[in-house]
Amino acid sequence: MERTRVPPMLKPFDIRAWLDRTARSVITVGGLATIVSILAIFFFLFREVTPLFSPPSAKLSQRLSVPALLEEQGPAQVAVDEHREIAQVFTSRAIQFIDLKSGQPIPIEMPPQLAGQQITAMASGGGAVPRFAVGTAEGSILLLKIGITTEFSERGERQKHPHVRAGLPIPVTTSPIVRLAYRTGDHGTVFAVASKADRLLIVRLAADDPSGDHPLIEELPQPAGAVTALALDALLENLFVGLSNGAVMHLALPETGAPELRASYPVAPPATAVTALGFLSGDRSLVVMTADGGVSTWGLVRHAEAPSGWTLSRMHVLHAHKGPVTSFAPSQRVKGFLTGDAQGNLFLHHATSSQTLLRLSTGEFPVRAVAFAPKGDGFITLDRAGQLSVYRLQNPYPEVTLGTLFGKVWYEGYDQPAHVWQSSSGSDDVEPKLGLLPLAFGTLKGTLYALLLAVPIAILAAMCTSQFMHQDLRAKVKPVIEVMAALPTVVLGFLAGLWLAPLLERMLPAVVGMVLVVPTLVVLASLGWHLCPPIITRYLPHGKEALVLIPILAAGIGGCLWANSFFEDWWFEGNIKVWLSTHLGIQYDQRNALVVGIVMGFAIVPVIYSIAEEALSNVPKSQIAGSLALGATRWQTVLHLVLLSASPGIFSAVMIGFGRAIGETMIVLMATGNTPILDWSWANGFRTLSANIAVEIPEAPHGGSLYRVLFLAALLLFVVTFVVNSLAELVRQRLRDKYTHG
Amino acid sequence: MAERSKLMKDFWRGGELFVWLTASGVALSLLMVAGMMTLIMVNGLGQFWPGTLQQVTLRSQEQVIGRLVGEEVIPEAGISGTGASPLRYRYRVGNRDQFGSEYRWINEADIQSIAAPKDLASVERREWGPAYGRISVGTQDGTTASPSEGTWSTVVTLVKRANQLRRRIEHLERDEIGAINHRIEQARLARQALALKSQQGPGEAEEDRRLVDRITVLERDYAATTEALERLRAEAGQEVLLLTLSNGKSVPLSLDRVLAVSRPNAMTLLEKSWAYVHNLWQFVSGEPREANTEGGIFPAIFGTVLMVFLMTLAVMPFGVMAAVYLREYAKQGPLVRLVRIAVNNLAGVPSIVFGVFGLAFFVYALGGTIDQWLFPEALPNPTFGTGGILWASLTLALLTVPVVIVATEEGLSAVPPDFREGSVGLGATKFETIRHVILPCALPGILTGLILAMARAAGEVAPLMLTGVVKLAPALPLDEYFPYLHLDRKFMHLGFHIYDVGFQSPNVEAAKPMVYMTTLILILVVVLLNLAAVMLRNRLRRRFATSAV
Repeated sequence: MERTRVPPMLKPFDIRAWLDRTARSVITVGGLATIVSILAIFFFLFREVTPLFSPPSAKLSQRLSVPALLEEQGPAQVAVDEHREIAQVFTSRAIQFIDLKSGQPIPIEMPPQLAGQQITAMASGGGAVPRFAVGTAEGSILLLKIGITTEFSERGERQKHPHVRAGLPIPVTTSPIVRLAYRTGDHGTVFAVASKADRLLIVRLAADDPSGDHPLIEELPQPAGAVTALALDALLENLFVGLSNGAVMHLALPETGAPELRASYPVAPPATAVTALGFLSGDRSLVVMTADGGVSTWGLVRHAEAPSGWTLSRMHVLHAHKGPVTSFAPSQRVKGFLTGDAQGNLFLHHATSSQTLLRLSTGEFPVRAVAFAPKGDGFITLDRAGQLSVYRLQNPYPEVTLGTLFGKVWYEGYDQPAHVWQSSSGSDDVEPKLGLLPLAFGTLKGTLYALLLAVPIAILAAMCTSQFMHQDLRAKVKPVIEVMAALPTVVLGFLAGLWLAPLLERMLPAVVGMVLVVPTLVVLASLGWHLCPPIITRYLPHGKEALVLIPILAAGIGGCLWANSFFEDWWFEGNIKVWLSTHLGIQYDQRNALVVGIVMGFAIVPVIYSIAEEALSNVPKSQIAGSLALGATRWQTVLHLVLLSASPGIFSAVMIGFGRAIGETMIVLMATGNTPILDWSWANGFRTLSANIAVEIPEAPHGGSLYRVLFLAALLLFVVTFVVNSLAELVRQRLRDKYTHG
Repeated sequence: MAERSKLMKDFWRGGELFVWLTASGVALSLLMVAGMMTLIMVNGLGQFWPGTLQQVTLRSQEQVIGRLVGEEVIPEAGISGTGASPLRYRYRVGNRDQFGSEYRWINEADIQSIAAPKDLASVERREWGPAYGRISVGTQDGTTASPSEGTWSTVVTLVKRANQLRRRIEHLERDEIGAINHRIEQARLARQALALKSQQGPGEAEEDRRLVDRITVLERDYAATTEALERLRAEAGQEVLLLTLSNGKSVPLSLDRVLAVSRPNAMTLLEKSWAYVHNLWQFVSGEPREANTEGGIFPAIFGTVLMVFLMTLAVMPFGVMAAVYLREYAKQGPLVRLVRIAVNNLAGVPSIVFGVFGLAFFVYALGGTIDQWLFPEALPNPTFGTGGILWASLTLALLTVPVVIVATEEGLSAVPPDFREGSVGLGATKFETIRHVILPCALPGILTGLILAMARAAGEVAPLMLTGVVKLAPALPLDEYFPYLHLDRKFMHLGFHIYDVGFQSPNVEAAKPMVYMTTLILILVVVLLNLAAVMLRNRLRRRFATSAV
């Protein structure tokens, strides 16, 4: 081709040569751009997926020394606002707000109720509203609201006003309160109080008595060890008490009646104290932290043998600290949390995926308190040296790991680890469950059922048209079957969902009948034809058997449909659905794998057919003629010669059919119930990767976890089909070369 | 006897049985195709025939008026084997607003008599589906004259007049008010664009005042037109028909809610045929009503055609260019071979993957950027940063470009090398050879590829669901306002229409015939395009089969 280049002796301003050069560059650039852009799809999808697996990072953005907080003992809480502009520090001495830009405290008005109180215990109320309760040395409880109100000035500037409000002290005991848990709900407010002498109290405020004028106080039996931690859930039903002997007690708090000790669970080696207890957002997972540095999450799980029907099970074990865990902070948005230890190390964990995402050292001093920024994009710590550190956190997809995508995951509310896809739920507290395995399973299931139907029909038909069929008939039949490939799948899906599924539900016995009747009819027809006197058969030349079969099979299928109720009476005791569920334990859904198998099989028959047909008819005619001349019958020739030679081509045909079925969207979207379950049964539905993308991506927020996981699903489909098709193509090309050169 | 057993032996050994078995594969495939087409045609085409309205008198003396639409053996009817199973009939009784459901099962055993009186009328309404009963001219308070032939002609005239009135109302609503709204919106956007300018001078203030004045004037126009519209509406609502239902109850039917009336039982065969053609045309050319379950599918047809057209515009130059490059310019070697296989395989990648790519790349990445650069005044409402016909077309273009490349390459490679050598030998440059010799020869191949691409695009739904198709588009993407072709608009599509009406609509049962008809049209489009491609390909093969050797 290089020779055709215009010779240099032509005139320099030759318009033709210029045009030729221009065309060359335009076509080269345009052609390459087209090819590159379609190949770039893969890289673009890949780019959208990769952020899912990028490791989280935390960067110290600010560190302040607050001398007033130095070396102080006793409880402490910290918080930072959503823009990370104001830090809030709450210790036994004072509540301070610190402007992080200037490092200066912001003066606030302290409520008089707090004056002169020595705070000995603190508890946060959980939830989005910043509510606190404190216990004092005098044995009283005070309710506090600590918050920052944001206002916008006329110029649009943001102004923040920190404030503290306090209720009146509620006296509950006479000795100092050392541990406190506090939650408020629709039925009122509950406090769990541990006082100096290891007495355990439950204090309730009725819903119509928020200020606590008439507290209801109940004393619980004295626990076996010293109370080291308390946790109360938002339902106000379950209280967990951590003890110095390494046990956690579970107490049920019925709405009326006395609290009841359910069970006591050893959560740490004996004599290893529980140092802290806390709930993840949603108050269902209990995080247990111990003196030996252990961090684990526990949940109440149904258990038949437990007397109450529930037992506290360890769901996730996270990376352990080297020393006692001193502080804990749950994320307000995901099932993640921070733990700090006495050596100044801070770990970021994600409970559901059982992984410790980040380990960093905040310095050599014990971490006194830690808290997430409200949006989860940062956190703040306070250590024993009085240092406040603010970190910026990059952790957009904590819940997605290869483990959670493809492995079993123990989600909150489940009895055991499971493969689950449930991307959204009614409540914000329920995390999305993004397990791709049920979807991959559904994809394979649908493909398998489709191939079960399509492969035999397509290969038989290909053998028939390429080897046995009369040329004239072949020229008509082939295009008809091939045009089937162009049928929009939405049409097939519509017929599957609205016509075939209800029909099949009524006509299932007839279908069972067909499975028996159709092959029998074929055998009978061939036998009949063979035994027929030649005077009749000669009117139909060799190679038109299919034409004879069409009316016979049509009649057979029609007969089966007509005899549906008889079949049902004879074989299935009058009701096939009842029969299925009593004899085989199969629950029949209207939209099921059988429907999809039939219709998607119908869709891929032409795909497999046309490639298999090509492979079969490319077997050199000379070889066939030789075989026939040596006395083999046409079936023997096909079985021993043609089929064997063309087997790679048939294999590639099946591969391409597989590739087509795996990505099919509309049929499965319309003809299955789209339930992501793991069950091979033909009688129930499934959800495929492709249908899942179509259903969920319009609702998925751009750039979120779900969005990117759906991209991962698309990438998977892309890679699988591309590889399968490439293999098939290679096999085909090799076969073609063999016959063209051989 | 010996001969018979030899015959049997032959039968088993010769494998004739298996030949027949393979033939059953063909027979089953053909049966499935034929069965499916018959099913769709019967269900789709049957619905436009003005079928007989039956008046059924039940043993309880209750009257039912409706169309017979099906029958079945009563399921779970009790003891089997007691001879003939009891049947029940399914009637479409219409009047959803009155009866609650459009369909009713009637057991054969309950029927006393069935008649088809000529005065039964079928009314097509704007809402609530069809109504069946007897019609007379009425007044608002519900008095009526007895139905006779004379009143029927009055009814027909009244309906005709009401339809004329409605066309005028629609003209006012859509064209005039639409135009005013469009201008107001333009002026509003111009003001916002003005406000976004970095430097604000006296010129800008002057311009802004002018725009405010324009908006005021337009709003006055708007008020006047709305008033005229209200008057017309009041006029349309004045006249009333009275519909006597099967249960003897009379309901007033305001004429502005009536689209058409007919008395199918009194029609001759010719009239019925005419009505059939008319109904079919209404379906193809009409607007959808009642959440797409009634009326026509014109916007869906239009959207499909326009989308395919835009896709063709995008796919043709690039597909052909890529193929010409691969075949004529690129150095043939393992790399090109690899690229060729990859391109070929892209045709087998699931369409939903292309949809996902289109959503992320075209809609979010490209569309979002275009919005920020060109349409900042409309933000935060996206212009191109949301699905639209342009993005859908481009997505489908990507999906189908491998088809075009492969077919064009096939066409190019079928051009005999002598042509090329002859042309170059006569002194033509390479480009001239390609333009004047090779491309014309390969044209059938290119066209085949294009047609196949169009057929594939017309039938794809999954990628469109992510890139801009909607169940009901408020306006066509092509209209009389500048820039006439609105590439950012969402559109309707036949395939999505099938999915939406068949699976998302509240009244699937009544909409089923519509879906079958939509299906038929979609299949027709796709199959015709494919047949055209097959024919072109055959012609191409024959042409070079003779010339090559």
